[in-house]
Amino acid sequence: MLSIFKSIPTHMDYKGQKLAEQIFQGIILVSAVIGFVYGLIIEQFGWTVYIVLAGFAVSCVLTLPPWPMYRKNPLSWQPLVPESSGESSQKPQESIKKKKHK
Amino acid sequence: MNTVLSRANSLFAFSLSVMAALTFGCFITTAFKDRRVPVDIHVSKVMLKNVDDFTGPRERSDLGFITFDLSADLQPIFDWNVKQLFLYLSAEYATKSNALNQVVLWDKIVLRGENTKLNLRDMKSKYFFFDDGNGLRANKNITLMLSWNVVPNAGILPLVAGSGQISLPFPDTYESTKSY
Repeated sequence: MLSIFKSIPTHMDYKGQKLAEQIFQGIILVSAVIGFVYGLIIEQFGWTVYIVLAGFAVSCVLTLPPWPMYRKNPLSWQPLVPESSGESSQKPQESIKKKKHK
Repeated sequence: MNTVLSRANSLFAFSLSVMAALTFGCFITTAFKDRRVPVDIHVSKVMLKNVDDFTGPRERSDLGFITFDLSADLQPIFDWNVKQLFLYLSAEYATKSNALNQVVLWDKIVLRGENTKLNLRDMKSKYFFFDDGNGLRANKNITLMLSWNVVPNAGILPLVAGSGQISLPFPDTYESTKSY
């Protein structure tokens, strides 16, 4: 059962995450301003709350699922480097030397 | 922000913060408002009896009966940060034993959206106007005033006294209690 849920891809790439955050913050702030002004005019604070909740729902739909627009900039990983024994053994030695200098 | 749950979490937290800020804004826009309105109180009949007060010391205490008219327009008090008003009519007077006596005679709750124009005629008091002794007889300065609690959506709970209190003298003699 859990494996079914885990098989659904939900990740976004880094730029997508930033975009999603900016989108939901923008939507909620705009709906908050609209709701505040509207509630102040018609003297009903309940409508302010409803409008913010509507903004919340819209931004849920827009940013919770990993829409394709949040996955346009996938990380370009280096291709798999075949293991070479010389490099991998040198690197740890360098770091040990640096520590001694300090 | 990498998973659905973490996005839902930050979205919900941000919405709650914004909502809290809006609620504070609602409080701030109404915090410094003057919620006093003029009230017109008119007392048409005053009756004074001296009866056994079974709740207190077994002595005869003064019991006043007041018939009053009340009119006020409460519309200016209401705004988007008022849920209801609790109105109460209280009598204030001084006796020999106490410098200040306050007795609530009548109250009323006005909800938001109800009729805000009070126009009440020949109202009897809801609660007994008992003095704790004999301080009502021949008391020349009994002040009736209407006050109200403003119950808000957010913020402080102000207690406002309406302008328009009246003072009236009480009679020197008791009504006969044998009338029943």
